[in-house]
Amino acid sequence: MKYKSEPQTLGELLAATITLAKDPSAAGRWFIGSMAVLVISFGFVMFQLITVGHASFNTSSDGVNWGLPIATYVFFALTSSGLTMIASLATVFGFKQFYPIAKRCIFLAIITLVAGFSVLALELGHPFRMLWVVPTGVQVMSPMFWMGVFYTIDLVLLIVKFYLMWKEDWDSPLSHLVGNAGFVAVILASGMLGLLFGSMVMRPMWFGSFTSIYYMLTAALSGAAAIVVTTYMAYDFDREKMPAQLKAFASGIELPRVFTTLIGITLVMMLARFWTGLWSNMDGLEGFAGLFRDPLFHVEMWVGLALPFFMLLSEKAARNKNAQIIAAFLVLGAMFINRLEFIVSGQTVPMFKGNWTNSLIAYSPSVTEWAMAVLGIAISLALYAFGEKVLDLSATPDHLESTEATAARAAT
Amino acid sequence: MAKWGMVIDLEKCTGCQACTMACSMENGRLPGEHWQDVIFYNEGEYPSPQLKWFPRPCMHCENPSCVAVCPARATYKTEEGQVLVDWERCIGCKYCMIACPYGVRFYTEEKPRYGGPDMKSVFKSGDAHSWNPPWKGPAENWTRGVGTQPAGVVSKCTFCDHRISKAPKGTADLDPQNPATREFTPACVVTCAPGARMFGDLSNPNSEVSKAIGNKNGVRLLDHLGNKPQVYYLTGEGGSVPGNRVLPTKKA
Amino acid sequence: MSNPLNPTVSRRRFLQATGAAGAATAVGVGTGALPGFTAIEKVHAQPAAEKSGETVITKSFCHQCPARCGIDVYTTNGRVHSIFGTLDNPLSNGKLCPKGHLGTFLLYDPDRFKGPMKRTNPKKGRNEDPGFVPISWDEALQTVADRLNTLRDKGESHRFGLLFGRGWGAVDAGLLGTFGKLYGTPNSGLGHSSTCADGSKKAKLYTDGNYDYSSYDYAHCNNLLIFGAGFLEAFRPYNYNMQVWGQMRTKAAKTKVTVVDVHMSTTGAAADRLIMIKPGTDGAMALAMAHVILTEGLWDRKFVGDFKPVVQPKDPAAARLPSPTFETGKEIDPALFEGKWTHGLIEWWNAELKDRTPEWAEKITTVPAREIIATARELATVKPSIALFERGPTAHTNGVYNGMAIHSLNALTGSLWVEGGMLNQTTKTPWAKLSLKYEDYMDDYAKSDDRKKPKIDGVGTKYKMASAQIQRIGEYHLKGDPYKMDTLMFYLTAPIFSSPENNGWEKALQDIFVIDTTPYPSENAMFSDLILPDNTYLERLQIADTYSFQGYPMSMIRTPAVKPVHDTKTFGDTLIEIGKRIKGPTSEYYKQLGNTENIIKQMVAGFAENPGDNGVNDYESFKAKGVWFNKTVPYRQKDGVFYAWDKESKSHSIPIDAAKVKEKIFKTPTGKFEFKSGYMEQEKYAHYIHDKHGIAEDRVGFPQWIAPKYSGTGDLHFIASKLPIAAEGRAGNLAHAIAVAQPTQGGKRDVFVEINPETAAKKGIKDGDVVLIKSKTGSVKAPARIYAGVRPDTVFLPYFHGHWAQGRWAKAEERIQKNSVNEVIENVSDPISGLACYYSGMCSIEKA
Repeated sequence: MKYKSEPQTLGELLAATITLAKDPSAAGRWFIGSMAVLVISFGFVMFQLITVGHASFNTSSDGVNWGLPIATYVFFALTSSGLTMIASLATVFGFKQFYPIAKRCIFLAIITLVAGFSVLALELGHPFRMLWVVPTGVQVMSPMFWMGVFYTIDLVLLIVKFYLMWKEDWDSPLSHLVGNAGFVAVILASGMLGLLFGSMVMRPMWFGSFTSIYYMLTAALSGAAAIVVTTYMAYDFDREKMPAQLKAFASGIELPRVFTTLIGITLVMMLARFWTGLWSNMDGLEGFAGLFRDPLFHVEMWVGLALPFFMLLSEKAARNKNAQIIAAFLVLGAMFINRLEFIVSGQTVPMFKGNWTNSLIAYSPSVTEWAMAVLGIAISLALYAFGEKVLDLSATPDHLESTEATAARAAT
Repeated sequence: MAKWGMVIDLEKCTGCQACTMACSMENGRLPGEHWQDVIFYNEGEYPSPQLKWFPRPCMHCENPSCVAVCPARATYKTEEGQVLVDWERCIGCKYCMIACPYGVRFYTEEKPRYGGPDMKSVFKSGDAHSWNPPWKGPAENWTRGVGTQPAGVVSKCTFCDHRISKAPKGTADLDPQNPATREFTPACVVTCAPGARMFGDLSNPNSEVSKAIGNKNGVRLLDHLGNKPQVYYLTGEGGSVPGNRVLPTKKA
Repeated sequence: MSNPLNPTVSRRRFLQATGAAGAATAVGVGTGALPGFTAIEKVHAQPAAEKSGETVITKSFCHQCPARCGIDVYTTNGRVHSIFGTLDNPLSNGKLCPKGHLGTFLLYDPDRFKGPMKRTNPKKGRNEDPGFVPISWDEALQTVADRLNTLRDKGESHRFGLLFGRGWGAVDAGLLGTFGKLYGTPNSGLGHSSTCADGSKKAKLYTDGNYDYSSYDYAHCNNLLIFGAGFLEAFRPYNYNMQVWGQMRTKAAKTKVTVVDVHMSTTGAAADRLIMIKPGTDGAMALAMAHVILTEGLWDRKFVGDFKPVVQPKDPAAARLPSPTFETGKEIDPALFEGKWTHGLIEWWNAELKDRTPEWAEKITTVPAREIIATARELATVKPSIALFERGPTAHTNGVYNGMAIHSLNALTGSLWVEGGMLNQTTKTPWAKLSLKYEDYMDDYAKSDDRKKPKIDGVGTKYKMASAQIQRIGEYHLKGDPYKMDTLMFYLTAPIFSSPENNGWEKALQDIFVIDTTPYPSENAMFSDLILPDNTYLERLQIADTYSFQGYPMSMIRTPAVKPVHDTKTFGDTLIEIGKRIKGPTSEYYKQLGNTENIIKQMVAGFAENPGDNGVNDYESFKAKGVWFNKTVPYRQKDGVFYAWDKESKSHSIPIDAAKVKEKIFKTPTGKFEFKSGYMEQEKYAHYIHDKHGIAEDRVGFPQWIAPKYSGTGDLHFIASKLPIAAEGRAGNLAHAIAVAQPTQGGKRDVFVEINPETAAKKGIKDGDVVLIKSKTGSVKAPARIYAGVRPDTVFLPYFHGHWAQGRWAKAEERIQKNSVNEVIENVSDPISGLACYYSGMCSIEKA
């Protein structure tokens, strides 16, 4: 059965958008608010880029080459991958409990990837040139080339998958094929993003195959955190407003368990990473000691990861709405810090700059760079609010839907 | 085909930075954007402290990691052994800067570090160039990263491609003291007062650079990374520490 | 296969590659023509070449330090785009220092003055906009002339002064004396040597009779001992120093280098041995070294002389008398010793040296006695050796004596005039004399005894032995001692920034009509009433001789590479034009003189009979080659014998007698190197020195230890010397120079003050903190760099930033240092040499 309120044509989509802007509901307010932020931050960034150019960044050739915009991109790209992985629990691995969040996950995966790519495009010197030089170059040695290939495939498959879901096609062989392929693509994409850093032997803080695994698993964590946050957000942080199935799922233990496990795995990985980093005397690893002195890192580690982990350990707490929401927010924040911390710290050891840099490189993002991060968030929030209102993101396969649920939805 | 390479004798180098300045003016570089730089380190305690330095051009590696990472194939290795950037392909992703172990690549778009107004705004370009220094030279070839660059791309030392590419084929040594080869020699080599720099064909075992590397045990920076720089350093005529634990593969 | 070394081939290939038009005509004049480039004549013959795309090389010489390296200026389409050293110039040898390349920026500096201007705001001050308005050259020149004529009418022409810095030769500094004589002022051509190198030059004058720079034969030297000279930073000729550095450090028998300084610069770091000495005490170390050399019997007997053979008792049974030796603390009968090319050794020993032990010196210098002994032994045994010194030891109140003590080491080791040692230049460039005689144009006013006024700088009156005292002019003017100045003209000098206690000048220039000739904004220009901007050096026609660096004469010509970018005029021509407007016969003289090009052409006529080694024999060949030189070094010493050059055998093989030595080599009263200076012992000077230093008149002639008087206030020595990139005066506004200013400490926007870790800890200063450096005369702010390479009792801040009026980059808002280091340094001069005591200042530091 098709969810009739979803717009079917471009005109309807446009009309829905206008309606949404006038809608006094939560989604409407989110949409208006985030659109305003989007417009302002985009305007500011464009103004800076046109008048000052990339010199408005605090990055430099002698210091940190990749700063907050790249970290923002990585945050969104990995969150997208994580969301696809969570969706795949239902669509690929058959954990039917996860169906109530599958469609939202796929939608969110698309928009976070769009947000990430948008920020990345603004960070590049010549984003449009990329469209022809990368396909004509085919530099198969470049991790960035493969990252581009895999994320493009990922995005296409996500859109196809979402289209099929929208068409209520959850179970056809094509739908399964697209789901399976999408999962493979997302593993390759997130892993390749890890290898983009992991291949850099000259940057020992990033180097190693571990980085690839680290990226995949932390992607899953940020995806899990994102879906928890957004699901609650869709219903005004009120479980009672959720459709029955979703409500049951939200009160259940499966998602918190997955979530807590992913936090635990991340904590273990960080410990392992820091052990080798701090233990080794090798030139280029000095940044680990620098990170250890960085308060933001400790916020990430203790407030953003350890605290949520312990909060969700007991089953009672794990089922608790507030605990889930707080934990998810904290983890999402921690993952944002994590991307920045990972990318920046890997560049703090100067490459033969001697006294010109004097010690480890200091970097804090400029206003323009922050505006780009805000822009990325605003893009995803606006698209999400739009999607939440215009599309039925809580839709599940028919055979899972109880009559009650259908009735409840019809009533809204 | 020549394989151009450079030898820098640290016994002679005075750390004066004439190489850096010659390069800056020859190649229309912005202040602080040093394709060629002299890197100083100090440590130790009074009254026996250390102050040491070495000049650092692009290493023009045999196995350049910057070339491998470029998703646009904008950076490439020439037949003559240089690593160049095609400014018409570069998308300004800066991955090559990340991947260069020697820190020799530059993205023009950054805040001026010298204090005072940005040179780019004082010497504005009316066209695609990132700026228009009044002293810019006539040589320009964007596909080889030569000349005043456009905005939004990465730049680097070309071994003065606009000079060396005019050297007659088969030249073994580009000696600035020889009037016949002077104009084809990289600017940093031409000006080096103590004569600490030599430039020539590494593939020719009879070139002065090859002889110096052999006789004086030339070493390369960060040899363990395997990039195999085509810039060698002479650190004194005595012993020299190996750059790597493994011996290079023997050629048949 | 083509021969890579065949120039014909390479030229053809070059032309193919560049597609340069007119290849057939691209044949240069003389051997200096480079493949593919036309010689300079072509530029002048074809002004259309400006748009031809052809690259033209113009010969010139650099303006950015005293060295005057020959340069090739590359111009294409009327734009100068490159500067390299001239390959066949014996000083630059195709090389340049870092500053040399920045000449292009200097030419196109957007802050340059665009033409003559006059001040409209009568108020003068650091924050006063002068309100300059453009005027025509005619108005500008007439303004000066009117002013000068008025002064002359009032009989006050002495109240006009012309101060100059880096004079280049006959067509700028060379015009000043004549102008003063014709116009009637003793103050035309007040030089800057008292803020430059007078300490070392005077020390040499008093001991070996030569008031000049020395020519050092580094290429053959095996041991170089450097006292307080930035050999690899600022010591001239910097470029050449670095060239020989490459040779010294890699030649068979590598030259051993010892550096004595107060902090570790690149020179000290590159040396084999760095001795960090207490500021101003170098003389004590040198005296102790002399003590060691004598007591250990290491002096060069063939040059210095020796004890006479002992007359043994006739009685064979009587105990044999021992040969006399130098024993610590014991006097020696001067009659026992016979000096050869030296005078007064035993008197010196008795009066001074006998007690100057290394242990004594250790207490004064903080240098361990064993280091002094090792350095002394090495200097006297690893030969040929050179003891070189500059402002480090001499810019102190005891500077001349420090210098004399050090220079005496060169005599003791027999390094004077030997191969691998040092000598003085005895020959000059054979410029033709001008036919025009200024004496014929002096009117009664100029000839009148009323014109014999004392100079405003006090030289000859207050400073009896000095050659200049530029740093005192402001002070004397303010006091009206001996009179007030009315008009001051400045050429390539700006004591308002560069003089010690420079801030005093801001007051002094208030009521003086100031004329500046700088092409660029500067602190001095801010206080000027009239700007008559000079051409920059790439736009200028000018000639110069080098200083006596190589021991043989070398002269260069600057040929304009481009037409002046702005409405500017070469200073020499400006002065001639002013002269043409002075009343009376003066104007006739200058009309006859015409212009600087006319002078140059007349002077170059002397080359016709004396062509240079490179064949330069007239104006055109001079411009094509850029340099005239004759590499013959007329005299050398070997094993205590002086020889003249023999053209036949091409060697120094004709022995010369003592009279010739006195005439050419040691121009002292004795014709020898004097450890007991006859010059200083002259009554007029001995009395003066006694007055100033309290030294007994019979001792004034000996190189001796007198303690330096530290000036200013505070517990730390404040040393501010130059960096390699500090172009003469203008690096502060060159963004490229700023970005690499202090590589040793990472100074790329600011320069850092070097503070020893121990001192920093005591003062609670952390790396990067902004520090206030102050003394009773003023203060300056700079970021701190904790550096183990500076003495704990010393802070070092490079003389670089602080220009508050030099241009947009110099006065960048973000930069911490806002004023000159000289505000911290009290205006004290060595009473003998007159050299400003730049390094005797004390300061205190605190976190700002």
